[in-house]
Amino acid sequence: MLSIKDLHATVDGKEILKGINLEVNPGEIHAIMGPNGSGKSTLASVLAGRDNYEVTSGSVTYRDQDLLDMEPEIRAREGVFLAFQYPVEIPGVTNVYLLKAAINAVLKHRGEEELDAMSFLKLIKQKAALVEMKQEFLYRSVNGGFSGGEKKRNEILQMALLEPHLSILDETDSGLDIDALKIVAHGVNALRNDQRSMILVTHYQRLLDYIVPDYVHVLAGGEIIRSGDKSLALELEEKGYGWIESQADAA
Amino acid sequence: MTGMTEITEYYARQYHRLAENLPGQGTEWIKAYRHSRLSRFKTTGFPTTREEDWRYTSVRPITSREFSAIDASQPVEPDLWNSDQHLIEGLDSYRLVFVDGVLRTGLSDISPEDGVRVDSMANVLNERPDSIQHHFDLEQTEESHGFTELNRAFSKDGVVVELGSNVALEKPIELLFLSAGGESLAQPRNLIIAREGCKGQIMERYLSVREGASLTNSLSEVVLEHGAEVDYYLIQGQSSEACQVSGIWATQASESRFSCRTITLGGALVRNELKSRMLGVGAHCDMFGLYSLSGKQHVDNHTTMVHGAPGCTSNELYKGVLNQRSRGVFHGRIKVERDAQKTDAQQSNNTLLLSRNAEIDTKPQLEIYADDVKCSHGATVGQIDDVSLFYLRTRGISESDARSLLTFAFVNDVLNEIEIEPLKTLLESMLSNQLIDDQ
Repeated sequence: MLSIKDLHATVDGKEILKGINLEVNPGEIHAIMGPNGSGKSTLASVLAGRDNYEVTSGSVTYRDQDLLDMEPEIRAREGVFLAFQYPVEIPGVTNVYLLKAAINAVLKHRGEEELDAMSFLKLIKQKAALVEMKQEFLYRSVNGGFSGGEKKRNEILQMALLEPHLSILDETDSGLDIDALKIVAHGVNALRNDQRSMILVTHYQRLLDYIVPDYVHVLAGGEIIRSGDKSLALELEEKGYGWIESQADAA
Repeated sequence: MTGMTEITEYYARQYHRLAENLPGQGTEWIKAYRHSRLSRFKTTGFPTTREEDWRYTSVRPITSREFSAIDASQPVEPDLWNSDQHLIEGLDSYRLVFVDGVLRTGLSDISPEDGVRVDSMANVLNERPDSIQHHFDLEQTEESHGFTELNRAFSKDGVVVELGSNVALEKPIELLFLSAGGESLAQPRNLIIAREGCKGQIMERYLSVREGASLTNSLSEVVLEHGAEVDYYLIQGQSSEACQVSGIWATQASESRFSCRTITLGGALVRNELKSRMLGVGAHCDMFGLYSLSGKQHVDNHTTMVHGAPGCTSNELYKGVLNQRSRGVFHGRIKVERDAQKTDAQQSNNTLLLSRNAEIDTKPQLEIYADDVKCSHGATVGQIDDVSLFYLRTRGISESDARSLLTFAFVNDVLNEIEIEPLKTLLESMLSNQLIDDQ
């Protein structure tokens, strides 16, 4: 699915990612944890194609294609989805308009027929129910006046609609209360199958109680300094990032 | 500075050449009126950037050419009119078509419903001048500049509309002004009288039907009696060589509501002067504006809200999208007179700059002489937000579509004020074509 090899990236000339290696196979969920400023969100942005990051070396292969060579919209149409840490408010564009434009862009790219108004509405109602989103939110501006939890649910709604092969969830748990977290996790788990892969970027172990990962990686100082299974997350929760950083320094 | 005196003389000579044949010239007061307006024009001349109200707008593109009124006795060339191109698809309206400022009855539908009277200004001046003398007399004390006086001196053609008491107009009255290029001068002068409690939509639309320079110097006066409601539209889509100076001046009695939308998509140099004088208690005025410019277009929206009585409210929102080397000017004057207590006046001007070389000059001017007043104004200038653009692209939307979408989103609240659906549809498609062309 995804193969990251020795990825280096800079922002404003400062190196943030210093040689990331990661293999994600179909159906796997990988959690990437790490302290603030470790490069977690940069990794998510680079994978989605944000242009203020410069990749200085390394490669990213996605389903046998060079991911870094694709424009962000092509990545999206090829099945890469980024759930934003801070979803953007876009006054004047209705949520339902964006959702319809997005799904039809993906369908067109695949050479499939675009959805008409009726079949789109049927589909979106079903997906909205999954994240317990009230219909009125569909007709509001994109994220306009949404609470933090509503914005995150909206991200998962978009993801559920687009059914991506690879989802990158950037700190989707931040700012969520426990009820909202459960709803979001339920939406994500409903999409889980043996073909779809996910990368969960998170600071806290809490999310991983609800979305259980296959692998946990610790990112610090722009490198993955340790990988393990879900028990690594529990260990981190108990001992803190300082523990693992000092271990890495010693090694 | 050369040529200012010469160009003023040029128009004065043109006036004298045509004067004898101007409508109503046989009526003594009209003749005297024209003469006094012409001498005011000769004294004031055309405005220059040394005047505060014209600081950001040079009228050189107008004064460096000699525009002339067309010969109204000649028929319209048949290939000039193309209803598919010139009409708004799906719009059912009472339509009056002017070519270079002359009403062409053959292209018009001048017979609206009971209680509504629509006549050409030329007819009214010839046949029943006394019915409008009062409105001409009222002007004497107003501030004015050369363009206004030039229009008034000619007072040649245009339309006089009277909406009777309590009439609710079934269809919009559409005044369609076509410019045929060839350095033509069109000076429509319109008078709209909205009697007590009436309600109606009126649209002025300006198009070029041929390439080439033209000057439209229009003036519309709208008189709203007690409780009258007028929705006004000024729609400008002229060619990139056309110049226009337009005035829409409303006088509002108590409880009246005047709402004007100014949409400017075309023209080389456009100056719009909108003015409302709220003279009766509880009047309300809206001014909404949208300008989307490219190339070297220059559009200046100059608005004046006069709160002249207690309890009046006004709301003003202008939005501009400026591309390439275009330039926008917004000047919003709000004047609250001494006894206009409980005034509520809001104003904002927001601009989206799509190019490094585009420029906006925005200037609020608040003059408040009353003490119990709510007045606010604001201006923003910004660019397409990179994060929003990226967000849309990560949802599969192409960069150019995302830019269009964000630009539309920016002007959406003004577009939503357009209550004539076929017009809204037309403007949306014109805007989206423009955005695609400019990318």
